[in-house]
Amino acid sequence: MANPSYIVAVSDFSVETLRQVVELLEVSTEFEHFVYREAELDAIWSITGFVLQYGRGSAQNAGVERLHRVAHEAHDLVAEGRAQDAAKLLAAFCEGGETDAIS
Amino acid sequence: MLSREENALLTETDAGTPMGTYFRRYWFPALLVSELPTPDCPPVRVRLLGEDLIAFRDSSGRVGLLDEFCAHRRASLFWGRNEDCGLRCIYHGWKYDAEGVCVDMPNEPPEYAFENKVRITAYPTREYGGLIWAYMGPGDHVPELPKLEWARVPETHRYISKRFQETNYLQAVEGGIDSSHSNFLHATIEAFRQTPAYVEKVKNSTNLRAKYHLLDKAPHFTVKKTDYGLLIAVRRNAESDSYYWRLTQFLLPAYSMIPYQKGLSIHGHCWIPRDDHTCWVWTISWNPEAPLSTEDWNSIHNETFVHAKVDPMTFRPIRNAANNYLIDREKQRTTSMSGIQSFASQDQAMQEGMGPSVDRTRERLGTSDTAIIAMRRLLLQEVRALQQGHEPVAAHHGDLYWVRSASTILKRDVGFEEGCRDLTEAEV
Repeated sequence: MANPSYIVAVSDFSVETLRQVVELLEVSTEFEHFVYREAELDAIWSITGFVLQYGRGSAQNAGVERLHRVAHEAHDLVAEGRAQDAAKLLAAFCEGGETDAIS
Repeated sequence: MLSREENALLTETDAGTPMGTYFRRYWFPALLVSELPTPDCPPVRVRLLGEDLIAFRDSSGRVGLLDEFCAHRRASLFWGRNEDCGLRCIYHGWKYDAEGVCVDMPNEPPEYAFENKVRITAYPTREYGGLIWAYMGPGDHVPELPKLEWARVPETHRYISKRFQETNYLQAVEGGIDSSHSNFLHATIEAFRQTPAYVEKVKNSTNLRAKYHLLDKAPHFTVKKTDYGLLIAVRRNAESDSYYWRLTQFLLPAYSMIPYQKGLSIHGHCWIPRDDHTCWVWTISWNPEAPLSTEDWNSIHNETFVHAKVDPMTFRPIRNAANNYLIDREKQRTTSMSGIQSFASQDQAMQEGMGPSVDRTRERLGTSDTAIIAMRRLLLQEVRALQQGHEPVAAHHGDLYWVRSASTILKRDVGFEEGCRDLTEAEV
């Protein structure tokens, strides 16, 4: 089982990174875990924000924009202690077929 | 990232705001005892949580902390005469005691005087640990003074400085618990570059910070929620089989300590809102076992560490935004990352440069900001709990503050909670 005290080193928004975060969101139950998840989602939101601001291919942008929004929503859910809901939201994005386009 | 609403909730501290109400549940530092040295000494202006106040020490030695303005025509009591157990407004002679009761109204004929019915706001004070503390909350929730180690050591073992900072208090707190900035902002160029000469120089140092802190620029953070606030543990690589651990506490509502290495002195901070755009930074250095050393005093006088020289009247640092903190660009090119003398001024330059109250909806955090995220979440939880009628536990349990920061080397298979258990209890 994933260890919720571990912090994912978020340096991209690849599907592997997102799935790692989803796995940890699913087992996060305490204040400390929520803080670490918030930090990871902050990093995803930051990286996608920079990509949107400074541009990549326009075909990718719709997916990146959606992930940027999902990361924000998931972040706010974690802040409310709703890590499971955040996990579902991010997992739905991963399963939505957009990850190939943005990786 | 914070929403605009959360940012406002955390940073606004005037009377009636949620965070202002929260701060008003605690005793907090208001003045140095030395600002009111003797009975009937001149009164002192002090602005706290958006309120303009006047402090004075009456003829019996009692400290009053009053609304700055006379109830009559709103003249400032700063100009008042401190005489015969009260502060007399020099405009029309109304006089107030330390509890804010008007005890004389000489400009009215005796039959029209109503002095005993006139009051101005007065807040309770305590003298403790070299400071005058204020409580600005409701009378039915008077808290306990925090059992902070630095407040309990003899005067010879402690030095406290106070400085005025032109930012919201939260920016300053965030700087204080952000361990990763010191690898850059407070570093020398040779440490930042890890030159062979630097590595050789620190190789045999007994100062763990000098030896390990700057050699691992990307530390791992762990946070633990506690009854007093947060325990923040930061792990850096030491030797191949060991880690260098630095443990610091964030103590509610706004204290922290720099990780302590046994045998050296300890340093800590407290940040109190002056208003939403300025704060008071209290910096304390103490040695639990002995008077401060010559080395400690040299560091204080030469501003080589956490204290900065200030104007003795305004407490505005000598190095400030108006003179670009006296940055020495040549020194920055050749010696230090910042070119600014003193860690305190380096911190202040960064924090004030962000603007008086940073827009946290525009920041881009990463995993090295874990302690900052945790502190904000904790404060938001505390404020919301108080809004729902739950009083802050720490405010009423002063003994929770009897803790100490720590730094040590542990084998890689030893967790910090186990390895540092004995190090994080205060002794005095």
